[in-house]
Amino acid sequence: MSDIALTLDGLGVSFSGFKAVDGVSLLVKTGELRVLLGANGAGKTTLMDLISGKTKSTEGQVYVDDVDITNWAEHKIARAGVGRKFQIPSVFREISVRRNLEVACCLNPSVFANLRLGFSPAAKRKVERALALAGLEAVANKPAGELSHGQTQWLELAMLIVQERRIILLDEPTAGMTEGETAKTAEIINGLKGSHTLLVVEHDMAFVREIAETITVLHLGKVLAEGSIAEIEGNPAVRQAYLGSKGIA
Amino acid sequence: MPRSVTWGAYALFIAVILLLPLVVDDPFWLNRFAKYGVFGMLGIAVALSWGYAGILNLGQGLFFGLGAYAIAMSLKLASPTSLAQGSDTPVPDFMLWNAEPGAQTDLCCINSGSFLWIPFQSEWFGIAMGLVLPVLIAGILGTVVFRKRVAGVFVSIITLALVLLVRLLLIDAQPVTNGFNGLTDLGWLTIGGFEFDPYITETYYLVAVCLTLVLIGTRVLVETRAGLILQAIRDDENRARYLGFDVPAYQIFFFSVSALIAGFAGMLYVVVAEFASPTFMDLTFSITMVVWAAVGGRSSILGACIGAILINTIEASISETEAFVEAWKAIIGLIFVLVVLFLPRGLAGLAKDGIAALLGRRKADPTLATGQEVTE
Repeated sequence: MSDIALTLDGLGVSFSGFKAVDGVSLLVKTGELRVLLGANGAGKTTLMDLISGKTKSTEGQVYVDDVDITNWAEHKIARAGVGRKFQIPSVFREISVRRNLEVACCLNPSVFANLRLGFSPAAKRKVERALALAGLEAVANKPAGELSHGQTQWLELAMLIVQERRIILLDEPTAGMTEGETAKTAEIINGLKGSHTLLVVEHDMAFVREIAETITVLHLGKVLAEGSIAEIEGNPAVRQAYLGSKGIA
Repeated sequence: MPRSVTWGAYALFIAVILLLPLVVDDPFWLNRFAKYGVFGMLGIAVALSWGYAGILNLGQGLFFGLGAYAIAMSLKLASPTSLAQGSDTPVPDFMLWNAEPGAQTDLCCINSGSFLWIPFQSEWFGIAMGLVLPVLIAGILGTVVFRKRVAGVFVSIITLALVLLVRLLLIDAQPVTNGFNGLTDLGWLTIGGFEFDPYITETYYLVAVCLTLVLIGTRVLVETRAGLILQAIRDDENRARYLGFDVPAYQIFFFSVSALIAGFAGMLYVVVAEFASPTFMDLTFSITMVVWAAVGGRSSILGACIGAILINTIEASISETEAFVEAWKAIIGLIFVLVVLFLPRGLAGLAKDGIAALLGRRKADPTLATGQEVTE
């Protein structure tokens, strides 16, 4: 396994002339947690779309380890080891929470390989562990559509954990959460550090302080700065572009 | 819902359809129930694609019709009239009326399309085509539609347009299909020397056993991991895609299975009704199937099956009552509207809620508890 899990090399996309992401190069080390910061329209979510295959890039390359996954189909990128949590939480609403996780457990994606009943004891243990980690044991048999907003977010996280994707992209994992829920989310995410490589888009600065190691600041589709939270706070270009003159609130 | 209750309901239903001939000894009614059993199979096909895959197919009649015509062609050639047209090999009577001037009375050349009938002299070929054609067409259609990520109402519109197109072609190809008249005066299905006269108990059992197998097979299919993934895709296609599943592959597979069931039902229908007609591909028939499934409960395989049988039984009883001859369509329409408004999960949903409430009360009230463990 190489030291660098995710490499972006001059990645960019232009929507009929407008460059939403413009030549972004980024190295994320295995086990690292990288936070993407930026004002609205800086290209954070678009960057995630480019990595996960939702949007096709018009320039540059994406590598997972040494495999070039640029512009692969979404499900192939997922199988290459990139899991993604959406900004608007998406889970399978009509089936139970446990079954949501069981779906995530089916790692062989072929239809015919899945024409069988039941799950292996190892898969069941994995599901139970993820339920415990996300604190969803009590609601395991409820349809996922009946969960609270926070629980829905955790369930989606738990699905990615069950999948054991090496790289996890999180798009605003605490959006709309209460303080207590945010703290718990931080706990879950901190637990993933080291074993997973994470790329997190987040606005909530208190949350960023809680989890961040390295921060990359995007501005108008380009990388503006990269460094620890202290370095970013002290960077005059960042202050001007994003934080305003008052610094990180 | 405890699993034991679900399987209990299946067992009860299967017992009822298998024991029905003990109660009903009128061959006319037995034949009717065989037809309704076939419709039950269509309910299953609709529930699989609509309820479990989230694909509302408004052209299920296409697959039913393909299955029906495939076997009807074989049975037409097996009928005594086809053998009595003054040729050594069987020739359907209508082809003589549609013969090219001066053509030889033989399938090879009586008219420009008649050669298509040649392999259908084998009954097994007809049966095989009745299964292969629906799956093939569904596979091709599914590949085009789902790989292009067409979804929701647009799939319904495409299927609806396709069934009408095929119906038109079928009627237009008069020399080969007998057009509007369809294929009538058919021989009986003969397997291993046994003739399935539509009005004997054995033929009822042929349908009942096939229905049982399809019912159990479909239920098990949706219990598999693939069935679970299919439901996940129905709930959130995108989420499934980013979990690494090739979404169209699952949609195409289950769409084709649904077509297979419909084609199989079409074949059995021909065996019990002794005709195949372009009305199978009428829009109203395809939509009627959807109504059956909606009333029975589209997210329940058994519910949709019972819905189909129940509506047809009620329809037959009402339409034969003097006072309701004109009104039965309105009554069926009213039932549908009421179910959609007040029972969105259909009769199956109502039954589930009822059983859940009953079990809940028994659990809550220790005097009623039987001491039996309720299993998940």
